[in-house]
Amino acid sequence: MAEVHVIGQIMGATGFSESSLLCKWGVHTGAAWKLLSGVREGQTQVDTPQIGDMAYWSHPIDLHFATKGLQGWPRLHLQVWSQDSFGRCQLAGYGFCHVPSSPGTHQLDCPTWRPLGSWREQLARAFVGGGPQLLHGDAIYSGADRYRLHTTSGGTVHLELSLLLRHFDRYGVEC
Amino acid sequence: MAAAAPSVFLLMVNGQVESAQFPEYDDLYCKYCFVYGQDWAPTAGLEEGISQITSKSQDARRALVWNFPIDVTFKSTNPYGWPQIVLSVYGPDVFGNDVVRGYGAVHVPLSPGRHKKTIPMFVPESTSKLQKFTSWFMGRRPEYTDPKVVAQGEGREGKGSPPWAGWAW
Repeated sequence: MAEVHVIGQIMGATGFSESSLLCKWGVHTGAAWKLLSGVREGQTQVDTPQIGDMAYWSHPIDLHFATKGLQGWPRLHLQVWSQDSFGRCQLAGYGFCHVPSSPGTHQLDCPTWRPLGSWREQLARAFVGGGPQLLHGDAIYSGADRYRLHTTSGGTVHLELSLLLRHFDRYGVEC
Repeated sequence: MAAAAPSVFLLMVNGQVESAQFPEYDDLYCKYCFVYGQDWAPTAGLEEGISQITSKSQDARRALVWNFPIDVTFKSTNPYGWPQIVLSVYGPDVFGNDVVRGYGAVHVPLSPGRHKKTIPMFVPESTSKLQKFTSWFMGRRPEYTDPKVVAQGEGREGKGSPPWAGWAW
């Protein structure tokens, strides 16, 4: 079986109008992939920028996959939430990016979006908070049924991921 | 087909904690330590250290320079658990107590060669305003009992932390 190591960090986020941000992340893979070590999902701490406008999480990611096929190459999906002083969380953006497929260190910038809702819901979100959210998280990383959504943009999440690939040459895959 | 015996590889890390930028604080020292998985073990060098105390330069750079050497070699059979270096920066507060000014962690680079890393630092923040005042007054900030938790992903929910301090690299 070929093996893939994904080692890196969710560094932080910029461009969000809200401060005090946290990120829930997860990695989705196809059926041929098996997670040998590491946690497939997690949540960062809440970070409030004091200097500049980038919220830093420095959240470590260390995953070891074994796979029998290239289909379902890992995709990292993210949900950025903001927390107010009362401890309530409000959605700031959804985003996803594919884990790179060439070995080495990569800087990734993942743009985010959030569902807009009707003008009533937008007004309520501005004054009271809340706002529409996705019922099923798989719309974040899948293209099916996206045409039903009307969304607006959020900020960008910055990641640094390093890839180590092993035994891919045995299966005729050059990397 | 017989399974191949696990092969051991070595990772040699040479470098330094060069300097830091902390706009609000002065007279700082830093501690470093490494966090790594079960398949890893240090074979040579020091895996932790405490630097000297440094003050900001008088010139326009206002830099805090440590030039603190890091020299360690690890051996492992598995890239999982790749070592992370955890930095904690401490300095005196208004009352003279030693308080933490920032924590940060980064993976040791995965490719051979020369790398320069800039690490953002953060401090844990109490959630209640009264606690914030009390901790400022008493000089007892929220601090991690073991700085190594900074290198772990699990259990970070529910912790508020502004990247209060600055950057170390």
